[in-house]
Amino acid sequence: MDKEVVICRCEEVTRAQIEEAIERGLCTPRDIKQWTRAGMGLCQGCTCRSLICQIVAEKLALEVSEVSPLTFRPPVRHIKLKELAGLGGNDK
Amino acid sequence: MRKVEVAVVGAGPAGLTVASEIANRGGKVLILDENAKPGGQLFKQLHKFFGSSRHLAKERGFKIAQSLVQQAQEAGVEIWFDAIVIGIFEDRVLGVVHKGKLQKLQADRIVLATGASEKALAFPGWTLPGVMGAGAAQTMMNIHGILPGKRILMVGSGNVGLIVSYQLLQAGAKVEAVVEAAPKVGGYQVHADKIRRIGVPIYLSYTVKEAFGDSRVEGAILIQLDENGRPIAGTEREIAVDTVCLAVGLSPMAELTWVAGCQFTYINDLGGQVPLHNEAMATTVPGIYVAGDVAGIGEASSAIEEGRLAGIAIAADLGYLPNSEAEHLKEQTRKELDALRQGPVGGRVGQAKRALLDAHATYIARQAGREVKERAEATWTGSAPEAPRARAEVPSAERRAQGPVAVIECYEEIPCDPCEEACHQGAIFVGEPITSLPHLKAERCNGCGLCIPACPGLAIFVIDESYSEDEATIMLPYEFLPLPHKGMTVKALDLQGQLVGEARVLEVRNPKAYDCTPVIKIAVSKELSMTVRHIALDEPKERSTV
Repeated sequence: MDKEVVICRCEEVTRAQIEEAIERGLCTPRDIKQWTRAGMGLCQGCTCRSLICQIVAEKLALEVSEVSPLTFRPPVRHIKLKELAGLGGNDK
Repeated sequence: MRKVEVAVVGAGPAGLTVASEIANRGGKVLILDENAKPGGQLFKQLHKFFGSSRHLAKERGFKIAQSLVQQAQEAGVEIWFDAIVIGIFEDRVLGVVHKGKLQKLQADRIVLATGASEKALAFPGWTLPGVMGAGAAQTMMNIHGILPGKRILMVGSGNVGLIVSYQLLQAGAKVEAVVEAAPKVGGYQVHADKIRRIGVPIYLSYTVKEAFGDSRVEGAILIQLDENGRPIAGTEREIAVDTVCLAVGLSPMAELTWVAGCQFTYINDLGGQVPLHNEAMATTVPGIYVAGDVAGIGEASSAIEEGRLAGIAIAADLGYLPNSEAEHLKEQTRKELDALRQGPVGGRVGQAKRALLDAHATYIARQAGREVKERAEATWTGSAPEAPRARAEVPSAERRAQGPVAVIECYEEIPCDPCEEACHQGAIFVGEPITSLPHLKAERCNGCGLCIPACPGLAIFVIDESYSEDEATIMLPYEFLPLPHKGMTVKALDLQGQLVGEARVLEVRNPKAYDCTPVIKIAVSKELSMTVRHIALDEPKERSTV
């Protein structure tokens, strides 16, 4: 593939950037996320997380099953800060 | 903090069924769904579903959703819409944003029935407007009434790709091609036949290399793949399309299952990373259950049965159902599930599900400090779990010459039997298991054609070669507008959508009982009786450059 392919659309990270990160020795989607911000944007990797796993598997000659995927943490959906702030008030 | 007995996340087929099973026995259930309406993905499914005539078969998906919602409401289930679960914390506390406010709910049991999301495929141009998931195209079309494009390339020939292609054609778009990276069609043959006979080419061992266009998709380049799935240089073909739909598989939408701390394993045939669960759908975290696509990609009927399993287990666990009865009900439900998981598509899922149960058992045993022998990894070989049954037979030329008779073009083991139920003559036999191919007792068939609209695969035709000296009649299903009318001359198409002659419309049947599957009776020249399988009101236009 010669043309530029964006993998993480939220953070506009290309396939070439991810491949470069792997060539520099990063070998998990988590490392790549921290280095390139792929999967760190608004959608939190909804679309690109499996693509990143595939690229890692391809580049390192692994099975996709051997690549540990990006983890999730709450909030797993976008919410407004206003909504989040409501929690403490309710609780006390 | 509000306490609930059972919180179910997701009001699709699995979630609604879990909730009804528990609420019917006295449990208090709250369903949380991030959408404005319940029903999950069923609400955009306009096609008739396969299945057993005892419950869901030949109902259109959105009607199945309506009846599941009604059942849950009658059982006293509370449903919150626009309720976004953002996390699951210790002691089964859920964070839920509802009506603009974050609240905490503490549940005795949680069922995650969150469904699946579409996989992506990255290629140059995939970020252009006009490239979208097939499911997204289906939502635009069937929920919002917007045609996503006029000339479509469908990438992927699984059931989603085939069904969405058919619905795009019904909505008036032109599906220029379906490409499939594998050397065979991924979905059911009857779904593939439905679009083939309209003239949609399915290119096997092909993929999309690139989509191009200035500010949106104007075309795509296809490329052939070798037996190892590598592109073959020089085989590129350009195709003019304005929309590229990606139907390259689904993966479990398991964010909440991950944050709840459930253990996962990777099983390709279930869509990738899937949560470990036991036969009662319990995950590795006490009190947390999964059901439906989040527990491995399947289809709606098995999502319902998994929901039932989880519901029975939870009802028993909470004391609403005696254990002995629960065991009996679970056993019955497991049998239903096994029956659904046979044949070329279901069998693969069935085998993968067994591997998932094994992985769960291994994990539990290891946690308990027991030695576990490594099992050989189960791999699907592609053969049916049982000896292949005989192909559906075609009535003999002799029988066809005697008068109208059904021709059932259903050659794959699909869990489906409405044709058997529809036949008042007892001429169609499916029997057990439900994946058996339909057997026609041609001597009993009177050619009434009631089986035609009953077949969710639109795979039954009635042929009468005794019609006249040189003509035969064919009755076929036709789910397109405008309908032809009696006396009209139309184009006769074969199974590949090729123009093979002319046909005269003799009759258009469209009573309410046919549920929007009109049956058209045409006369064609006699030698075409086993060739013509579709009609077109206009001459099929020239295909683009492919």
